[in-house]
Amino acid sequence: METVNQTTGKDVLLPDDTIEAFRAKAADTPHPRELIVDLLRAIQDHHGWVPDAGIELAAQTLGLSPLQLEEIATFYDKIYRQPVGRKVIHLCDSICCWTTGGEQVAELLRDKLGIGFGETTPDGVFTLLPTCCLGACGDAPAMMIGLTTYGRLTAEKIDTILREIRQQID
Amino acid sequence: MPTLTIDNKSITVPDGTNVLEAAQRLGIVIPHFCYHEALGAVGACRLCAMMFEEGPVKGLQMACMVTAQDGMQISTLHPEAQELRSHVIEWMMLNHPHDCPVCDEGGECQLQDMTIAGGHGRRRYAGKKRTWINQDLGPFVVQEMNRCIQCYRCVRTYQDYCGGDDFGVMGSRNRLFFGRFQPGKLESPFSGNLVDVCPTGVFTDKTFRFKTRYWDIEEAPAVCPHCSLGCTVIPGARYRELQRVRAGVNRQTNGFFICDRSRFGYGYANHRERIRQPNCQGAATSWREALEHLKERLGKVVNEYGPLSVAIVGSPRSSLECQALLREWTREHGYRPPLFEIDNRRDRTARILAAGLGKQARSMAEIADSDCLVMLGSDPLNEAPLLALAIRQAVRNGCHVTCLDPRAVKLPCAASHLPVQPEQLLPAINGLVANRFEEFERQDQLFLEGAAERLGRAERPVLVGGGDLLGPEGTEALLKAARSLNAGLFVTLGGPNSYGGALLSEDGPDSEEMIEAALEGEIKALFCIEADPLTEGPARSARALGQLELLVVCDHMVNRTARSADIFLPTTAPPEAAGTYINNEGRMLPFGGAYAPGLPLRDIGEGGHPPRTFSNITTGGEPRPAWAILATLLQRPLDFDSIHHGLESDPHFAGLGLLSPGGEGRRVTDAGMLPPAAQPEFPHSAPEGSLPLLVVEALFGTEPLSSLSPALEPVIPEAAVQLHPTTAARLGISDGETVSLRTELEHLRLTARTEAEMVPGLLVAYRLRGTPLELLPVGKITPCLLEKGGNDA
Amino acid sequence: MNDYPQILFKNRVVGETAFIDRFRANGGYQGLEKGLREMTPQEITATVKASGLRGRGGAGFPTGVKWSFFPADQPVEKFLVINGDEMEPGTYKDRQLLLADPHQLIEGVILSAFALQVSHAYIFIRYAYEECSRNLEQAIAEAKEAGYLGRDILGTGWDLEIHLHRSAGRYILGEETAQLNGIEGVRPNPRSKPPFPAAKGLWGKPTNVNNIETIACIPHIITGGPGWFINLGITQGGVGTKLFGLSGHLNRTECFELPVGIPLREVVETFGGGVRNGKGFKACLPGGASTPFLTAQHLDTPMDFEPLEQLDSRFGTAGVTVFDETTCMVGATLNLIRFFARESCGWCTPCRDGLSFVQWILEEIEAGRGNRDQIAMLKDQKKNITGRSFCALAEGAMGPLDGLLRHFEQELEDHVKLGRCPFGD
Ligand SMILES: Cc1cc2nc3c(=O)[nH]c(=O)nc-3n(C[C@H](O)[C@H](O)[C@H](O)COP(=O)(O)O)c2cc1C
Ligand code: SF4
Ligand code: SF4
Ligand code: FES
Ligand code: FES
Repeated sequence: METVNQTTGKDVLLPDDTIEAFRAKAADTPHPRELIVDLLRAIQDHHGWVPDAGIELAAQTLGLSPLQLEEIATFYDKIYRQPVGRKVIHLCDSICCWTTGGEQVAELLRDKLGIGFGETTPDGVFTLLPTCCLGACGDAPAMMIGLTTYGRLTAEKIDTILREIRQQID
Repeated sequence: MPTLTIDNKSITVPDGTNVLEAAQRLGIVIPHFCYHEALGAVGACRLCAMMFEEGPVKGLQMACMVTAQDGMQISTLHPEAQELRSHVIEWMMLNHPHDCPVCDEGGECQLQDMTIAGGHGRRRYAGKKRTWINQDLGPFVVQEMNRCIQCYRCVRTYQDYCGGDDFGVMGSRNRLFFGRFQPGKLESPFSGNLVDVCPTGVFTDKTFRFKTRYWDIEEAPAVCPHCSLGCTVIPGARYRELQRVRAGVNRQTNGFFICDRSRFGYGYANHRERIRQPNCQGAATSWREALEHLKERLGKVVNEYGPLSVAIVGSPRSSLECQALLREWTREHGYRPPLFEIDNRRDRTARILAAGLGKQARSMAEIADSDCLVMLGSDPLNEAPLLALAIRQAVRNGCHVTCLDPRAVKLPCAASHLPVQPEQLLPAINGLVANRFEEFERQDQLFLEGAAERLGRAERPVLVGGGDLLGPEGTEALLKAARSLNAGLFVTLGGPNSYGGALLSEDGPDSEEMIEAALEGEIKALFCIEADPLTEGPARSARALGQLELLVVCDHMVNRTARSADIFLPTTAPPEAAGTYINNEGRMLPFGGAYAPGLPLRDIGEGGHPPRTFSNITTGGEPRPAWAILATLLQRPLDFDSIHHGLESDPHFAGLGLLSPGGEGRRVTDAGMLPPAAQPEFPHSAPEGSLPLLVVEALFGTEPLSSLSPALEPVIPEAAVQLHPTTAARLGISDGETVSLRTELEHLRLTARTEAEMVPGLLVAYRLRGTPLELLPVGKITPCLLEKGGNDA
Repeated sequence: MNDYPQILFKNRVVGETAFIDRFRANGGYQGLEKGLREMTPQEITATVKASGLRGRGGAGFPTGVKWSFFPADQPVEKFLVINGDEMEPGTYKDRQLLLADPHQLIEGVILSAFALQVSHAYIFIRYAYEECSRNLEQAIAEAKEAGYLGRDILGTGWDLEIHLHRSAGRYILGEETAQLNGIEGVRPNPRSKPPFPAAKGLWGKPTNVNNIETIACIPHIITGGPGWFINLGITQGGVGTKLFGLSGHLNRTECFELPVGIPLREVVETFGGGVRNGKGFKACLPGGASTPFLTAQHLDTPMDFEPLEQLDSRFGTAGVTVFDETTCMVGATLNLIRFFARESCGWCTPCRDGLSFVQWILEEIEAGRGNRDQIAMLKDQKKNITGRSFCALAEGAMGPLDGLLRHFEQELEDHVKLGRCPFGD
């Protein structure tokens, strides 16, 4: 996945062919707005998060104003409008996870990562965020890293998960 | 028409009225924030609770969300309703900073009022408040986001009503930010309405910041003097300084909103170069001396050359009272009949319209209600901004808009635009009636047939014309078309009282005739009342004025003609005196004077502590209403009311005396008269290789009063010539390049701007004040030569 | 262990997904064949109505009745939206369904779309359910391949396209009108009702919204008939089976398909395996985060709409979250209120600001800084928020607070008296 253009040295927000595909879809529908969430998610998938330039690119691709994109982007909590690490950990803090030790897991994660909620590890690998219920209440306490959900968290399990992800990344 | 009972009072209301509105009709005002008459009800604030005790709906309901129905029995005083209201206010106040002492809204803040009315008094929340970093929103509006109570009125005004797309709401839950994507100037020409609609001090008028508390401001309902639509405005002044303008309410014209030109274009009244003292030959003098001198010199001219050597140029900027006295004065002394518009094209256009409009007249409210609008030579955002909002409301209700115009007309709504040459407007109008468009190309024919077909099908069609581009012939054709299509007609004119001037001109001579007479040496004395023939008149005016023995100018602005006056008499600016304008649909709109003229204290440094020296003379208080100067010359009492009411002796103005400032006004009763036959125009042979240049109005920078307002300086457009990319390519000119433009008399350097949506082969430029472009007549084609570069200018 | 009839979960093998071969081998797409070949759209709607099926998304509105309001016979563009937002804490049943058996939903969507005569259906899936989205993508492709989707389905001359909308978070998107806005790509605040989606929904066109589980029931109702479906329930008015997602302090926190009307005790003890660590049962949320708590005295209540409403609680989504005797109910309620306050869309004042006010009061009390006045304040906040908000989110938020005030006021008092949380460690 190319995230920096070799010749311009600029961040690649989305590959040109993907942008073209969105442009074509937008031209094909009477309501291009329906593509907003898809496009923001595509930029985020590719670039890790949605910077201002991503909002502008999306606006321009769909023929809307940046503000019109920003109104949507800032509503959803899973669209990141600030830089995040390469993997975002969403720890559930809703009721089922709370009853099953979610607060202790939070403590544990903070310790292990050395960061608080809303922060990114100095090596840029992990960002820790709280989230509401992940729909994994039967497997509480649960967290989601990227788009993968992990349940029945214990100290050992968390260690393994974090270690494996670090290995994958290297 | 359901009948319902609220607090034991019965009322019958039109179908579709909501219960909050029904209560308001009964004079019962229940606190509310998100409901706004122009924006409708959305049920967001949850403040307007009432108890529905009997009838088809039961229980505590948001009154704005319930349509009035027969048999409803409603209590606004029910304890549960009152309790909820006080809770809603408490919730709104959780995050509100208690910064009323430093808030510009203080004193006219709905949140202050509703907090008291809602019954919340003691703060129980002791947690943290959310705070924001504000954005710089440009020269007009200040943002203080912490004060927001999330009523969503601002977005609904800016986006839904006005069609802006650079301001909105971001975030969610109790972290909502109402602003722009990035800090920067609000792009909408209606951005200032945020100041009026925001019920608290989030958006305030930057030009008014920290100047005056509401209770200290002098206000009066008035009529906007910056175009011909007659929007109701409320100018406000303090310490002899006009400090702000806010929107007034007139459901027939502007509704609740005004444009930024109107709101921030008020600086002309405080202009530092404004001449406030009478002067003779450039030397300041007293009124008594000036008037004596005037009588003496005028007497001399009349003695020597007869009364017909005296000519008068009035203006569409003047009040009807002034115009009427002017006519009386000329009649009494046998002077030449007055002109009320020196621009011949505009004069004839207005007179033709006033003579023929009759039943075809439509208001902006009726435009907003139309189901089919066809615009001919009209560019509302530049010529009559609020018209663009009326059109947008029509489109929101499903109206189809067709626009025929040489310019790249931009509208805040969807419209089908066909770029046509200026001279194609006339055949297009005639074609719409006959449904024949032979003179057009096949593609355009299809477009025009579609428009004709929609017009035929529509129930409430309106033809919208721009007087400048249509000119007298176009206006005449459009009048005929409206009559034969049984459509409404709405034509914008040159100034706020063009229509009044047109009625009073009757079939009197036009400016061609006057200029010719002056050139022949038949005119020796010229009176210009709030008129500037050297700028607005034809190029020959300078030579014509050169023949005079006496030039008298009465005005509140400095301009070319005023600078060469023998005698100058200062008049009041529009907000400084009462008067009446007649807008472009023939609606009589009286206005009050907000304050007495004088040198603003901020300019002279008076007014501090310890107290100033006492004097009954106001520094700079010399300007007099133009009508008062004329009344003096006519030896009539200086009594505005008697002059105003006296206008009713002219049957056109029947009922005027019953109207009050700030009201909806009413249309004039009788038609005007057609101007005398036009002198044949000798077509100038255009030089080899020349291109037609069309000079037009712009939103900012071309209207005479507002262009003097410092607040508008940052938004005045660059001096540019617009041309179609193909035209540019043919000339080898690219976008942004400096070009040289040569007309018969002027030579200027401008920036070239390519504009794909305009008609090819034409040049378009704004008549920017303070540039040589201001001397070119609007709406008329001027042949010119355009070249690359232009460094030799 | 679960001897009750398995209808929705008949193909379920935990950890596996049944795609088209297994689905068909087990009788899949028979309801579709029957419905499209042998029945008219009106007959399908009538059958669903006769089955008494009630919506599984939380509100429990009778599905057949809703469909009968839909202008199916009008020749205008109309839409079907399948609500897979599932973000109410304690609710995870739709996910189990999609992980196990995505074709079941697709078959239901096709049948429902046929009954409602729509040609475009949107399945709305929350951000966290990426695996479900992938399953659905595969199932849609397979169904297309098999001729169940696309043009002229089974020779009926009727076309259907299913679109998958992947969302990006926020609980409010589960509210049907907010969801329509979400699909349209405008700010997902709820819309005012009326007009209801059946009159003005997606892009102003008639739209029917149903929950995933609701739609998954349709093929079974068509194959088995309404009588059979009604008999699956074991209470008087209860019909069909229901997916129960168990969570909290139970030994077995899994999702079970159980008959509607099964007593709470059986759910907790037999299926949930009783309270963890041998502790006593203190309370539970019977149907998701927005349903008022039940206590030990309610254990014999049948899990069905009416019986729970009689206890001033709700069946909701049947996500049962159990709290053991050591749980601080003030803390639990605070957690729930925090969720709702954070998930408020920000449109109306009672929710946007009222909920954060309630959250603050509970925080004060839980932290031992509270006073008696604040307990009274909780009551008046509840009174003034319930039924006063623009949509049902804030009303739902008041569910647990209502339960707290009705059943556990003493715990509030104890916090105030002690100046700390009595359950604190
Ligand atoms: C705040 C809120 C959240 C909701 N979340 C969901 C949801 O996640 N899934 C769902 O099916 N219904 C949800 N609903 C209910 C829907 O509005 C709607 O009633 C339901 O989708 C209708 O489908 P049904 O009749 O099949 O249950 C929610 C309602 C509210 C007020
Ligand atoms: S900024 Fe003003 S108008 Fe806009 S939501 Fe806030 S209080 Fe209302
Ligand atoms: S109750 Fe009001 S603020 Fe809360 S989610 Fe519904 S509309 Fe939004
Ligand atoms: S409460 Fe944590 S996953 Fe549902
Ligand atoms: S005015 Fe009725 S809810 Fe806001």
